[in-house]
Amino acid sequence: MTDRRSFLRGAFAAGVGGVAAASVSGAAASEAKEDTALRGFHGVHQAGVEESPLPRTTVVAFDVIAENRRELTDLMRTITERARVLTSGGVPDGAGITAPPADSGVLGPAVPGGNLLVTAGVGASLFDGRFGLAGRRPPRLTTMPTFPNDALDPAWCHGDLSLQLSARDEDTVVHALRDIARHTRGAAQIRWKMDGFVSPPRPSGTPRNLLGFRDGTANPAPADLGRLVWTDDGGTYLVVRLIRMLVEFWDRIGITEQEQIIGRARDTGAPLDGDDEFDPPRFTADPIGKIIPLTSHIRLANPRTAQSAGSRILRRGFNYDRGVDAAGDLDMGLVFTCYQRDIPSQFEAVQHRLKDEPLVDYVRPFGGGYFLVLPGVRDGGDFLGRALLA
Amino acid sequence: MRPWVPLAGAAVAVAVVAAAVVGGDDLLSGGGAHASGTVLEASIGRCGTGWTHAHPGAQTLLVRNSGSAIAEVRLVDRAGAVHAELEGLGPGVTRPMRVTLGAGEYALRCSDDGASDPRTGTFVRITGGGAGGPAVPAVSTSDLSGAVSSYWTKVTAGVGRLTGLTGTLRSAVASGDVGEARRAWLPAHLAYERLGAAYGTFGDFDGQINGRPEGLPGGVHYPGWTGFHRLEYGLWHGESMSSLGRVADRLDKDVRALQADLPQQRIDPADLPLRAHEILEGTLRVELTGEADQGSGTSLRTAAANVEGTRLVLDALRPVLRSRYPALPQVDAWLARLDAQLKGHASLSELSPLERRRLDGTTGQALELLAPVAEIAAPRRTS
Repeated sequence: MTDRRSFLRGAFAAGVGGVAAASVSGAAASEAKEDTALRGFHGVHQAGVEESPLPRTTVVAFDVIAENRRELTDLMRTITERARVLTSGGVPDGAGITAPPADSGVLGPAVPGGNLLVTAGVGASLFDGRFGLAGRRPPRLTTMPTFPNDALDPAWCHGDLSLQLSARDEDTVVHALRDIARHTRGAAQIRWKMDGFVSPPRPSGTPRNLLGFRDGTANPAPADLGRLVWTDDGGTYLVVRLIRMLVEFWDRIGITEQEQIIGRARDTGAPLDGDDEFDPPRFTADPIGKIIPLTSHIRLANPRTAQSAGSRILRRGFNYDRGVDAAGDLDMGLVFTCYQRDIPSQFEAVQHRLKDEPLVDYVRPFGGGYFLVLPGVRDGGDFLGRALLA
Repeated sequence: MRPWVPLAGAAVAVAVVAAAVVGGDDLLSGGGAHASGTVLEASIGRCGTGWTHAHPGAQTLLVRNSGSAIAEVRLVDRAGAVHAELEGLGPGVTRPMRVTLGAGEYALRCSDDGASDPRTGTFVRITGGGAGGPAVPAVSTSDLSGAVSSYWTKVTAGVGRLTGLTGTLRSAVASGDVGEARRAWLPAHLAYERLGAAYGTFGDFDGQINGRPEGLPGGVHYPGWTGFHRLEYGLWHGESMSSLGRVADRLDKDVRALQADLPQQRIDPADLPLRAHEILEGTLRVELTGEADQGSGTSLRTAAANVEGTRLVLDALRPVLRSRYPALPQVDAWLARLDAQLKGHASLSELSPLERRRLDGTTGQALELLAPVAEIAAPRRTS
């Protein structure tokens, strides 16, 4: 525990979370009660995969600048400790006159616990020669390739580490990122960062993306996650795709074309052969795609055949909105994330089927990467990546 | 834990607390777990009155200035280490003081802006509990006087070297040989950057000698822009050597004026500890972003000169920091790492994205470690 001192400066008062929760009053107490709906920090899996997505998120890729394996280990211990502290909440230690305040103060003097999900992963580049880990790269952890319809910008791709921070409110996300970055400056630097949000149901059902369609309807059931998502040691493979949506162009095409491109009705989210969002499409009854075109997004992504059942992925989409491009069009789109046991037979199989789908004219994938979401932190003595670094 | 409220002045205390909450001080409502409710008086006449049943642990003390002068209040232990402070506490004002107290003896020390000496209240004893929060002995203005004079001696010597090098630069520009002028520009500019002229150390001279075009009407075309960066812009943008002669003459004149003025200038002892991180804050913002570069491609040489400027400050403060700042060896280690990463490089464009991030992160880590120096070594009234 003493090793991480080089990067760990200041900590929240140990065990204060419980004290604060027991005695906060009024509005804070009711919020704390609601927050207990989120799971605690320790567990077999990291938080932020299984849970319903929270409305505000940031996906951040880091380059590790630590000089050696020991500093990398310090870094992982520090990220773990900050995540534990930030998700537990409490009153940050005062620094007195010995230092500037240990906490940014963005969340007030007592940091509410339970309203933050922290999910950390490692990229294939961490296993190059820098840290003596070349022989320890998990064989299924590779570098995201360029797919046929991609326009990748290297500045927005890959990374040694991934970190996703999600919360109900944006200030909670910002607070956590500032805290973690402050405690790890000498060991990791942000390579790219994309903020996202999840829309509320409009008017009900699965949240809509910025094309106006419900996105994420056909996710695997919780009971299937062990088979489709989690690796044997409690990790999972994460694919991040940063996908610009050409919303002005999209808004200039007719509703019939939009719905045939997606394969669902825009208003209800129902497949074009159904009435309700959750009606399963009956592709076998429509073999030549007279109702749901063979090239539609939902049909290519998940043909619902025996062969395609194993390629299902756990999708988590977040909208992003970040200004205006050089031609005056809005720069917005999708931070697509998905989780699976095996990227080649799941995400890449889906991606291969989607090659040259009609939707590609309206979207532009420009970044992202592949990461291994590390197994969960089991207890107070454990830390993220311990098994890899041992 | 029901807060203990002193009998004497209890009604006053409650009224003050209520006012603070109504006034929107959410520290008291949000940090309710730690607000003890005990109100300590802080004035020369009644310093620490009301603090009779002190307890260990993290807590918020409410401190009320019951006097008629503006007060400074510090919570000190028997060894003289300061645990917390409130500056500029107005008469009648109550403010929270957050502390973590372990076993030991503590008292308030009160001073006001009048002529009276600080007064230390009665020590209270705390037994049991865990470790207390961080504390450090105060640094007085006289503790800093040695640091200031040794720093100023080195700055004066540095200005002497600078004067010689700007004279050489002036001659080189006058010769009309652009290559020679460019070669003479760099050592003169680095001599200035080594002085660590952050945040108005040299008053108006800094703007004249090393001003950047941001904020000038018309930017680089503003006729009143002078100094090293103006000359750099001209030398690396094909301006005629005869027109740059005037710029170099003016720079030489301004540097000599700085040198002549130096004996009349004094550095506020309160400023020196701030410089410890401010110099590199500027480096990160204008050199490592490339913003300051006007064509010479020497941002990283400037950054290395700024590290030297930071060391000048740190070395002067070392006598007061050595016993007060346990992370001082780490500061030295991170500055050494920064030096090593800068070595052999001049321009940001020579670095790969990963090398740039390494430099940014190392600078950032050094800054995190330098920032406490400003807090620890800030001059405080001790007696």
